[in-house]
Amino acid sequence: MNSGPAAESARRVFAIAARHAYVLRRSPHRVFDVVVWPAVDVVLFGSIGIFAASRATGTARQVTLYLLVGVVLWHVVYQAQIAVATGFLEETWSRTVLNLMVTPMREWEYLAGVALFGLVKLVAGVGVVALIAWGAYAFDVTSIGVGLIPIAVLLLAIGWAIAMFVVGLVLRFGSGAEVLAWGILFMTMPLSGVFYPVSALPAAIRPIGRALPTTHAFEAGRLLAAGRPTPWGELWLAGAGTAVLVVASLGYLGWMLRIFRARGYITRYL
Amino acid sequence: METAALRAVGLVKEYRRGRAVDGVDLTVRTGERVGLLGPNGAGKTTTILMSLGVVTPDAGSVEIFGHRLPRARPTAMAEVGFAAGYLPLPNQMRVIEYLRMFGRLYGLRRADDAAQAALERFGVGHLARALGTELSSGQKTLVGIVKAVLHEPRLLVLDEPTASLDPDVAQRVRTGLGDLCAEHATALLVTSHNMVEVERLCERVVFLARGRVVADGTPSDIAHRFGRDGLEGVFLHLARDEEAA
Repeated sequence: MNSGPAAESARRVFAIAARHAYVLRRSPHRVFDVVVWPAVDVVLFGSIGIFAASRATGTARQVTLYLLVGVVLWHVVYQAQIAVATGFLEETWSRTVLNLMVTPMREWEYLAGVALFGLVKLVAGVGVVALIAWGAYAFDVTSIGVGLIPIAVLLLAIGWAIAMFVVGLVLRFGSGAEVLAWGILFMTMPLSGVFYPVSALPAAIRPIGRALPTTHAFEAGRLLAAGRPTPWGELWLAGAGTAVLVVASLGYLGWMLRIFRARGYITRYL
Repeated sequence: METAALRAVGLVKEYRRGRAVDGVDLTVRTGERVGLLGPNGAGKTTTILMSLGVVTPDAGSVEIFGHRLPRARPTAMAEVGFAAGYLPLPNQMRVIEYLRMFGRLYGLRRADDAAQAALERFGVGHLARALGTELSSGQKTLVGIVKAVLHEPRLLVLDEPTASLDPDVAQRVRTGLGDLCAEHATALLVTSHNMVEVERLCERVVFLARGRVVADGTPSDIAHRFGRDGLEGVFLHLARDEEAA
């Protein structure tokens, strides 16, 4: 028996989320992306921070804080992006794309389903990072305060937007573009000042860094962790940049989907 | 005018390698069972993919129960079931999980009940708890067909549905499909290289060659028109004609 359109949409979103839960449950190696790499990152950067701080003086002793804030916030954007991008890649690997395309499901319902399950993975991944940072390095992520919430929301939206670019590239260029699912964020990482202020970048590439919304989100995170007042200017810049990025990624994905249908690229997945 | 299950008019699709579909008109009436036949490369799959809104035609239009694609695609797809013999099942899902997912994608509230009923219809209820990796290729194909019918669509589109099935299972599939079409007045559009199967299952046949409709009628009419004993003879004639061209 069928029901109203809103209930049917919700059912489709949860169906896609459940589908990816099954995949994760039966593919133990995927746990690496969710909890193992985050744990490795926090131990690596936390220990570097402790070592560097023991030899530093004055404000340079804040290096541990910078690194730990950076790694926690980095995993918000990373987990959001990787969950959606690899979620779509899973459909290409299992050749489910055609079967999904001939259902009443709308594109946004699919993305919402993958993003919903991605949130579960994100909570697990960031939870691991936060717990290790607290247990091993005495860094309590909640010490950032409620200002952490808008920063996390912005980074989440940035992760999803970048994932939509990746999905668009895979639709257009096929499996050759898969590597971007893991690589694209690492290209923006140094430019975004994840672990340092953008002033530490070479002068020539500083403007690129300042143009990225991630840069302002990470800067806001560091300022809050250092006990400064809410950095509204950084949050506003991050918010505006995120809005532009989300709109651009949606436009790009729609464009690539039209090309995918027009050129019959579905035959790559038959 | 009667609303057709599928009405495709003047479909054209050009790929880099050439024109795959060249002005195909294809109508499937409500409750009608139509076979879409032709040699490899004749344009059958491209025609089906355009009819389902997965590939955008360069020219022409598609309506499913009066819903024009691509704008009304979600509404139209709610009326359609699709299976292809060449599509696998995801390895990491149990059959019941896979069917539940598709039941929910089709908006079914009781997806599990529908899945179990559809499995029983094709005599494979015992496969519900099996993982994709535990199924033979024939069983996977059967589950794909079960997936296509579990929401009781008004139009069923099957691309090479019995290609990997042994004669016994293929017979069960034909019976199951025949019963389903009869009970629910489901329209059927099926491609196959098994001419005997098409003759048994379909009341009308559309032959494609080089992207065009070259024959449209009942199996016996078409065989008679080409001066052959059956559809297999027509198929061989067209395939050799295509090779010569």
